[in-house]
Amino acid sequence: MNWQLQLLGDHALVFSVEEKMSEEIISKMIALKKNIEAFHFDFIKELIPSYHTLTLVYDIELFYGSEIAKENNDSITDFGNALLTAFNSAATNVESVSSIKNLKSNNDLSEKKSFIELEKIIRIPVCYDERLGIDLENIVLKNKISVEEIIKIHSEETYLVYCLGFLPGFAYMGKVRESIQIARHASPRKEVAAGSVGIAGMQTGIYPMNSPGGWQIIGRTPLKIFDHNPAILGKLEAGNQIQFYPISFSEFEKLNEY
Amino acid sequence: MAIKIIKKGISDTIQDIGRYGYQHLGIQANGYLDYLSARLANTILGNPTKSPVFEIHFPASSFTFTKSYIICISGANFVPVLNEKSIALDTAIEVKENDTLQFLKPIEGRISYIAIQGKIKEEAWLDSHSYFANSIQKDDQFEWEARPTMNKKMLPGNETITSLIINEIRSHVFSTSPLHFIPGPAWKDLTHESQKVFLSTGYHIGMQANRMGYPLKGALLQLSKPNQYLSAAVTRGTLQLLPNGELMVLMADHQTIGGYANLGQIILVDLPRLAQASNQTSIHFKETSIETAHKLYQQIEKKFIHRS
Repeated sequence: MNWQLQLLGDHALVFSVEEKMSEEIISKMIALKKNIEAFHFDFIKELIPSYHTLTLVYDIELFYGSEIAKENNDSITDFGNALLTAFNSAATNVESVSSIKNLKSNNDLSEKKSFIELEKIIRIPVCYDERLGIDLENIVLKNKISVEEIIKIHSEETYLVYCLGFLPGFAYMGKVRESIQIARHASPRKEVAAGSVGIAGMQTGIYPMNSPGGWQIIGRTPLKIFDHNPAILGKLEAGNQIQFYPISFSEFEKLNEY
Repeated sequence: MAIKIIKKGISDTIQDIGRYGYQHLGIQANGYLDYLSARLANTILGNPTKSPVFEIHFPASSFTFTKSYIICISGANFVPVLNEKSIALDTAIEVKENDTLQFLKPIEGRISYIAIQGKIKEEAWLDSHSYFANSIQKDDQFEWEARPTMNKKMLPGNETITSLIINEIRSHVFSTSPLHFIPGPAWKDLTHESQKVFLSTGYHIGMQANRMGYPLKGALLQLSKPNQYLSAAVTRGTLQLLPNGELMVLMADHQTIGGYANLGQIILVDLPRLAQASNQTSIHFKETSIETAHKLYQQIEKKFIHRS
């Protein structure tokens, strides 16, 4: 896999590989993220994985004030390359990391291991009742498939979270099987209810809060997947594995956290 | 409470430097549109540089104070009046109980900042008072805890920053020289012709500009491949090419990721200049290097630090 390092303006870097939506690639991004986090550099403000990229946002002043900047010719690009070298060395179990001194990468965080140790599957209840799955009918008509089959196919698959965005806690998950794929609405709804589970092409996702939205809604989860309480926040992160399981309308009402 | 909104503006908010460390959860950074003017107002009052301030657009909110404060207004000139008497920008001003602050007319710039000396009495969410979904409504009330030592310390004669430096910052923020940008991942996907057009023609800010993004009107640009990318993280200042060939600059309330062609980023010190530009300003772009961008950033930082 060929790593690329690119500047994203004057306060971020992007590590990327071939542009592809794959389990192997996103787990590699998560592994690199963990590897970089283990160094605890105070000038790194964000590490944001998304599909085939990991974006590092940094503070310019803190970077130039750091020891590691001096070791890397006061160059953020050299620093980025040193991180990649350290990561690749950790992955191949090489002990010495010349460009990042005193900071031995933990082998538990190497890309080899975390690739195998995909995190445990998070199970999320969904009520696919047509009172909540307001676009099920569209898929039935367009894809010539029954509601029962849509539910079976959607809840059988294990999905991977490729990134979060759009709203706090909104996870883009895939891949949805072809027989239930459907394009998003041509013009978005003014308001989609919090907890709504939707499909857009090969991706599925959950609206964490009431919001405008264009995804085709097939059901609703009673569980809050995002909470403003700082101790809780988002339940989903890139690299997580998700499986949905069907519940009845009365179970939905019982469990409803919204 | 001590500061009351008596008239609602079009989209006024409380902003600080923003919230970092949560974008992997889809939580936006938010924060000042023009960090330099906000910082100027805070610096003049002796506040910590990243403190929350009122960020005001025109037509602006009107305020009544129910307690004395020392305030400072920086950034755009909307002709601020205190009890109908005009007051100066970039100056510490004492306001008293029952004083009313209004803004009459947009003369220069888009965004004005009101800093209040002391500390806001409001709980932060994840270390920041900025939040994309909160805008200031009529009858909202805010309170600042004035510093016990406040008194007249920051009033004229006791400045924390020289007028020379204030002028330097202002002339940078309101300068119309080209905006520096660093080419991004999709710059190479622009046709050669479009690269030339982008570097040589002027753009102006469209009517739909808001805290999420500023659309740029001007020559349409073309990619040599379909405008379809897997979403990746974006930053403030990102120049996104939309499928119709128009440009959108992502601003402080941008979403954490984006799937349109990422042509490049306006450098941090030049973002306040775009933020403050009028719809009539002709905006030009100039390619720069990371080294120059960091040098320019540090030059401005030094102005604030080596004040005397």
